[in-house]
Amino acid sequence: MAIISVRDVTKVYKLDKTEVHALRGVSLDVLPGEFLSIAGPSGSGKTTLLNLVGCVDTPTGGTVEVDGKDTRILSERALTDLRLHRIGFIFQTFNLVSVLSVFQNVEFPLLLQGGLSSAERGKRIGGLLDAVGLLEHARHRPSELSGGQRQRVAVARALVTRPPLVLADEPTANLDSQTGATIIDLMRDMNRKDGTTFIFSTHDPKVMSHASSLIRITDGQIVAREAGDVAGGR
Amino acid sequence: MSRVGVPTRWRQAGVLLLIAFRNLFASRAKTFIVGGIILFGAVLVVVGSSLLESIDSGMRRSIQGSLGGHVQVYNARSKDDLALYGGMMGESDLEPIEDFSRLKRALMAVPNVKAVVPMGIDQAMVSMGNLFDMALARLRDDVRGCAGSCAGVPIVEVRYEAHKEHIRRMAMLLREELRGARAISDERGRDAADRARGWADLGRVNGDAFWDGFDRDPLGSLEFLENRIAPLSLDGAFLFVRYVGTDLDAFQKAFEGTEIVEGTPVPKGQRGILLGKLYAEDWLKLRTARRLDKIKDARDLLHKRIAKDEELQRWVKENQTETRDILLQLDPIRAEEAKYRLRRGLRSEEADLQKLLVQLFATDDRNFDERYKLFYSQLAPLLQLYTAKVGDTITIQAPARSGYMNSVNVKVYGFVQFKGLEKSGLAGIMSLMDIQSFRDLYGFMTAEKAAEIRKIKEAAGARVVSRESAEAELFGSGEVVAAARQTAIDENRLLGAGRGAQRKEDLFARVYSQEEIDSGVAKNAAVILKDPRRMREAMRDIVAAARREGLEVKAVTWQQASGMVGQFVTLARLVLYTAVLIIFAVALVIINNAMVMATLQRVKEIGTMRAIGAQRRFVLIMLMVETVAIGLAFGAAGAALGAAIVWLIGASGGIPATNDQLYFFFSGPSLVPRLGSSSLAVSLAIVLVVSIASGLYPALIAARVSPLEAMQSED
Repeated sequence: MAIISVRDVTKVYKLDKTEVHALRGVSLDVLPGEFLSIAGPSGSGKTTLLNLVGCVDTPTGGTVEVDGKDTRILSERALTDLRLHRIGFIFQTFNLVSVLSVFQNVEFPLLLQGGLSSAERGKRIGGLLDAVGLLEHARHRPSELSGGQRQRVAVARALVTRPPLVLADEPTANLDSQTGATIIDLMRDMNRKDGTTFIFSTHDPKVMSHASSLIRITDGQIVAREAGDVAGGR
Repeated sequence: MSRVGVPTRWRQAGVLLLIAFRNLFASRAKTFIVGGIILFGAVLVVVGSSLLESIDSGMRRSIQGSLGGHVQVYNARSKDDLALYGGMMGESDLEPIEDFSRLKRALMAVPNVKAVVPMGIDQAMVSMGNLFDMALARLRDDVRGCAGSCAGVPIVEVRYEAHKEHIRRMAMLLREELRGARAISDERGRDAADRARGWADLGRVNGDAFWDGFDRDPLGSLEFLENRIAPLSLDGAFLFVRYVGTDLDAFQKAFEGTEIVEGTPVPKGQRGILLGKLYAEDWLKLRTARRLDKIKDARDLLHKRIAKDEELQRWVKENQTETRDILLQLDPIRAEEAKYRLRRGLRSEEADLQKLLVQLFATDDRNFDERYKLFYSQLAPLLQLYTAKVGDTITIQAPARSGYMNSVNVKVYGFVQFKGLEKSGLAGIMSLMDIQSFRDLYGFMTAEKAAEIRKIKEAAGARVVSRESAEAELFGSGEVVAAARQTAIDENRLLGAGRGAQRKEDLFARVYSQEEIDSGVAKNAAVILKDPRRMREAMRDIVAAARREGLEVKAVTWQQASGMVGQFVTLARLVLYTAVLIIFAVALVIINNAMVMATLQRVKEIGTMRAIGAQRRFVLIMLMVETVAIGLAFGAAGAALGAAIVWLIGASGGIPATNDQLYFFFSGPSLVPRLGSSSLAVSLAIVLVVSIASGLYPALIAARVSPLEAMQSED
């Protein structure tokens, strides 16, 4: 059973009077536990595809099913809930809440969810911050951290609700290659440990190489789907 | 969708507050500008409404306690509205309540009514005796005292001669004054003959022959001086007096603020007047003494200094130049005594009394208090400070409703003031007079007067003649003439009934029954309620009760009845609320703008929150918490600051009333504002409403931010 199922999806943006066809009939299945990379030049439609899969946008045509739910028929509230409980996000520009500490940033989705006691939250956040190597920075503000550290906080935030699916849009684009590699390794570790499905977009060949499978997208269409170089990928 | 546990809710609220406060702190400049406006508004609300509440309650107390009562009732057919303290156009023109007793009976049946007091407020002219009259009265006492000749009684004779000398000197001064007036008057004018006769009379009194012959016919000479010379004196002209004719006994019971500062109440049921204390101070007091009082008040209460204040300097100067009133009052004996006392008090060798007075009044900030004391302890006992004193009879004249002049003589029983309004020029000048005298002046037939006229008619043989047959009756037949001749006119009887002095004494001594006081005309009536909180209800009951009695009346609150004065608080409140409204409208726009800008700057952050699962409602509340937090924090600070200001004003003795109007509004020499919990609550409520209103739009914008915003790669 695929966690993501995309069928004949088109997406048209209207910019002033011209129509931009961001996706022109895309079909894709993603299985649980995949570590999938979407590659393509900028403007090819990879961010659009991620947005549709991440339930922050809905397709113009075709269907997108996330966790078995058709996103086109869900309400705004239900989509938000789906994002909160089933999907973790990692952004190109890290997108931490600047006025909250590292700990509070990671805690934020848990507070939105509710349900966990303070101690349970503390334990889980502590474990994650330890895993991303930032336990001693828990009280720092994002502005006191380097780019790589911030993105690691974002990884921790994406994983704190234990979602089956994590989406990352160009997670390494704003990092140097060394740091970018550590972030990908971190994600890869999480993928292996918990079986969390990762989908990330990139145009960096070195990053792509870590993926278990790779989708190439050009001009709004999938041109290839290939297994990655990494050993152990499905 | 998981259920949200209680601890998590608190934690969630905690994060909302944390985000809000950290955001506010992050953009301090914006926060302080927005907060500053709210703070100012809150201060204004608290201080302004505290001041207004204090003025309101002060005025309520003094108007209700002095003249207004709780409700005022007057004839519904009246053209004007009732204005207890006078309006722009003088006294209001009210249709009379023809028989007050009916109204009283009707109103006393209303359960909430405690007392009904009849009133007739009007202005009248009053003539006090002038200085000449005062001096002549003393001389007449001397003449009466030694019954014919005073020769051989040394002390009395010395005094008698001194008084004579005094009058002679006054006559001389009067002639000098009138010489100036004659130079500019038209010889062929309307009263030219009168003036010429007056001038001739003055010439006679200034000649030796008149004074040589004085002892031979002292009473005749006095008569001449009183009737022909005293009226020529320019001072002691008519003064205006504002009075309320009322059931004095009921009035003093109903209005507990009434204080008799000198004299006694008018005996129950008798005629008489209690002059307004401030009226006496302002109009009847020796002007020099009045100016000294005013300088003292300005120095003591308003902390002014003669050296720095032009008005005070003017008063000091006027006191030095206008010594004539004092000099005229002093007969030679008293003048000597005054000279002695002043020389001692001022440690001066000066022989001339006028120069001594000038020395006395040449005051500066250093010696003022000492001179003030010297004046009142040494000089004042030799003078008559007020032109009317307790026991005097004064003549009051007023145009009646029909236009002709009526006059009554009333005895002054004392001086009256109202608690809280002692120095108020609006209320303090009010005098209290018995209602019978008011009815005489007002020209409405009292039962007594009707009886008197009936008596005169009987005596004169007049009978009712119908309009139709009047001509025939009067001129047509000889029978009527014959009939008239038959009724011999008893002159003695007529003169006896009408002889002024005797009738006056009768009237003064006469005691009117409550029934006589009640049955007759009144212009309005003050109603005291048992429960003033149920005023509106009582007003409806009053109108209904009067209607059942066949009387159409209007009932108004004490506030409406006090005319423009009563509207002051309403007006001030309007101004304050307008100012507050403008300030908060500005605040609303500015806060709204600032928050919209802040929202636009944080689109990405908000988008991120939305992307990772924050519902729109969460974002909405987050933004609202921010504005409401600014509002409450600065609103509370403003309210606290306002409270502190109010407290400081109170601690420093309040805001001094620098003029008569303020004195009335403050109901006392200064306004000490009291902090009402209501003004604090109102200010916080306003702040809360304004911050919610101004935060709503930016919060809605924020709630509409799409999670897609989080995905934009460029900042």
